[in-house]
Amino acid sequence: MARPRKTNGIGIGVEDTQICVVMVGLPARGKSLIAQKAQRYLKWLSIDAMVFNVGNYRRQDSPQPGADFFDNSNEKGERMRRAAAEAAVTDMLKWFKAGGVVGILDATNSTKERRRWVKERCDAQGVETLFVESKCDDEALVMSNILEVKTTSPDYKGLDPETAAQDFRERIHNYEKVYQTIDEDESHLTYLKIMDVGKQVIINRIQDYLQSRVVYYLMNLHIKPRSIWLSRHGESEFNLEGKIGGDAPLSARGEMYAKKLPDLVRESVGDDRPLTVWTSTLRRTIATARFLPESYNQLQWKALDELDSGVCDCLTYQEISELYPEDFAARDNDKYNYRYRGGESYRDVVIRLEPIIMELERSENILIVTHQAVLRCIYAYFMKKSQADSPWMAVPLHTLIKLTPRAYGTQEERYDAKIPAVSTWRGKGSVAKHEDPTAATDAIGKGGDLPQ
Amino acid sequence: MDTLLTAEIAANSPRYRRRSSTFIDGVHDIPDENTSHMAPAQLYSTMSGRLFHSGRIAIVLVGLPARGKTHISVSLCRYLQWLGVKTRVFHLGDYRRATMDPNIDIPEDYFFVNASAPSVLLRQKILKKCREDIYAWLNHENGQVAIYDAVNPLAAGRRSLEKEFAKHDVQTLFLESYVADDKILQENARNVKISSPDFVGMDPDEAAQLYLRRIELKIPDFETMTETNLNWVKMINAGEAIKYNNVSFGYLSYRIVFYLMNLHIKARQTFFVRAGTSSHEDSYKADASLSDEGRDYARKMADTLMAHREKERLALIAKGGPNIPLRPLTIWTSTRKRTVETADYLKSLGYPVRQRSQMSQLNPGVCEKLSERAIRRIYPEEVEKHEKDPYHHRYPRAESYHDLAVRLEPMILELEREQNDLLIIAHESVLRVLYGYLMACDAMNIPTLKFPRNEIIEVIPKSYQNEAKRIYIPGLSLDIIPGSPEDIKIPVPASGVVSPMPGSGLASPATRD
Repeated sequence: MARPRKTNGIGIGVEDTQICVVMVGLPARGKSLIAQKAQRYLKWLSIDAMVFNVGNYRRQDSPQPGADFFDNSNEKGERMRRAAAEAAVTDMLKWFKAGGVVGILDATNSTKERRRWVKERCDAQGVETLFVESKCDDEALVMSNILEVKTTSPDYKGLDPETAAQDFRERIHNYEKVYQTIDEDESHLTYLKIMDVGKQVIINRIQDYLQSRVVYYLMNLHIKPRSIWLSRHGESEFNLEGKIGGDAPLSARGEMYAKKLPDLVRESVGDDRPLTVWTSTLRRTIATARFLPESYNQLQWKALDELDSGVCDCLTYQEISELYPEDFAARDNDKYNYRYRGGESYRDVVIRLEPIIMELERSENILIVTHQAVLRCIYAYFMKKSQADSPWMAVPLHTLIKLTPRAYGTQEERYDAKIPAVSTWRGKGSVAKHEDPTAATDAIGKGGDLPQ
Repeated sequence: MDTLLTAEIAANSPRYRRRSSTFIDGVHDIPDENTSHMAPAQLYSTMSGRLFHSGRIAIVLVGLPARGKTHISVSLCRYLQWLGVKTRVFHLGDYRRATMDPNIDIPEDYFFVNASAPSVLLRQKILKKCREDIYAWLNHENGQVAIYDAVNPLAAGRRSLEKEFAKHDVQTLFLESYVADDKILQENARNVKISSPDFVGMDPDEAAQLYLRRIELKIPDFETMTETNLNWVKMINAGEAIKYNNVSFGYLSYRIVFYLMNLHIKARQTFFVRAGTSSHEDSYKADASLSDEGRDYARKMADTLMAHREKERLALIAKGGPNIPLRPLTIWTSTRKRTVETADYLKSLGYPVRQRSQMSQLNPGVCEKLSERAIRRIYPEEVEKHEKDPYHHRYPRAESYHDLAVRLEPMILELEREQNDLLIIAHESVLRVLYGYLMACDAMNIPTLKFPRNEIIEVIPKSYQNEAKRIYIPGLSLDIIPGSPEDIKIPVPASGVVSPMPGSGLASPATRD
């Protein structure tokens, strides 16, 4: 049971929580991957989150240390590693003071003493701590992680992969000498302990809904290889007229795209295995998906419907700028947060897409046929696009996008159907019906932000 | 002899209860095969009727009495039913009560490992009937999950249970409630058990002690779960920690763990009220402010609520309860102006208000501002479809109640986690769905639930079933009570489907208290 909520004495509860997610575990247990994914997920939900990687701080002073640097009896190494942790925690607490919500401390934090120290620092500032330990003794799994991820680490840049792997194993060995797993002594901590990739799990003292959400998300992550395919609907009648929203049928060229889509998908998948298809409930996405093979299971989601433009539904941008000039300016000023009168903002769309993301994380191969704004939001999740940029991204019609999640970022491929269509991209301040998207600073296909 | 006994149990068995009112928690009701096909928040349906790529599952409770097993089973059942997983709880205690003369105590050695022959026989009979019902539910009634609420104290018994279920092609997930904290045990024993006639007139603490000692005597052998080859989830100290051992978990199990992380056993109330009225020019798209009348309503509603809470507190003290301050009250509204402004007065008094965009009203699509007659004239085919299935049908560009329920799903978890009392100010469509969850209403009844503006609806969680209450708000102008001009005029079939209890039910006016 959660401890009683803090109250101010007259029966009014205090809301704001700040959580420090403290990663715990030996090197090569997927800590950084978990940290990165959690950060991406939370930021996408507009929960301010940031990873503080102690390794990055340490590298500023010793960019390429050998394994003996990590030996506990190496005083100089020990001192420098401590200084790096100190610097990372200090920066993180500064960031919390400025209003950060979930800070993720990505380091081994492998001793009880170190964990106590982190908790004391956080407690002093009223920040909750959630320890996340990944404990894995499966030698083969650890090795594959070492080879796939660590040999690309900046610590081993320019070194022979074999030598690097050897040195890294020694480094792990040095950590093992002092490693203490989270046990009964630390039952006062809030923690999630994942043993052997989820075979055994302990969840201790979850304090609030946000923590439970993070834990649930981490439980749903899987590492099976898979891809996600995204497509907008084919060009619609409204697209031709430059109108937004509505529930218009496909144009003649949109119909051509629908007919071509099965071939495009088959070419991208590479074989005949069936995908699961998710569409919105609007005519144009259902029509676009209707020629896909019978063996593809199709589901319609209301949550995939286009952003609701309220009173502006079925208008052109020209008309909106004339009828609601203030709204038009306000939207350009802050497109992510602007909520159409009686309609939605991008922020609202992200919230309603959250169950879709959870479902996507646990599923395997899915093809989503949806709308421009919704696709921007889903794409932003996988490719880590910022809220300032994602609503302005150019997403061309008649293009199939394939996203493949990898350890440190998502890989992207595009398949152009080569069927002409109008552009629905619009630059800031413009009221043009069909603007040339080459002016877009950001577009699908330019790839995501680089991982830290 | 045996058949006679079985018939007797069947006649008394609670699983044959039929729903009588939307004012009664429907979590133990048998769904009517003719009217309900989909649950409130069910995302999709399958040919087998089973969801989440899972087969049939038996969730087997483990734990001594007074560990909150019934509360956990019922809450979990409510949540799974809401998601569309066909779930039913089988409380072994119900079968025992149905079998035995209520005036005779169960034999002293009933739970003993080396019980006497008559006790063993009795135990086996009761178990047999309960298991038969579980298999009937899973094999012939299209059930996917059976929650088996019993003590299941021994490792050997659990192993054979798992084997038996496996023979029937049913996967077993054990769910143990383990309490090591004496304070929690005492509190549970006091809250749940001391109303029993055995303890009348006793000091509550003494009664709790006595009750717990009796449990120890009756069930001397209990082994907590450590089996590495079984699937189990262990809730320790009512959710302080959760451990699980995962042999073959599917998504459904993760979902259950997520739910359990948010479940607590503290008592608290949820209140539902409508938003105030706005100007007549308001519409779904316009999002207007409250009218003077609406502001007047907001004030009277808040005053009534606060007076009610204080009255309940004093009543509890009068009954011998402790003199403790009121639980904090949190207010949730949607992001629509009318609901936000209805909370303004309470906010000015210092109560925290959270705006939740998921709680926006049902989007009426093309039906906005149309009269029922106009809708019938313009969209006759849609009306026909709507009348067949008012819960799932959506008018062009509109949301269905089902869409709304799916959108509200994260709210359900937050609702469970909330430890403060909660006031939800929202459009009637949102209240219908959230109330539908807490009271396990049939999906088909949800679109016709009524929340007149002169009532605060209070839901009180209880371990076997929740209770609902209505609090009358005096002094309101009559014309804002039945509905309001901005209501969505989507035709729904007459509320004859719902048969409220005589003189109560959501469809009838509140009584003054």
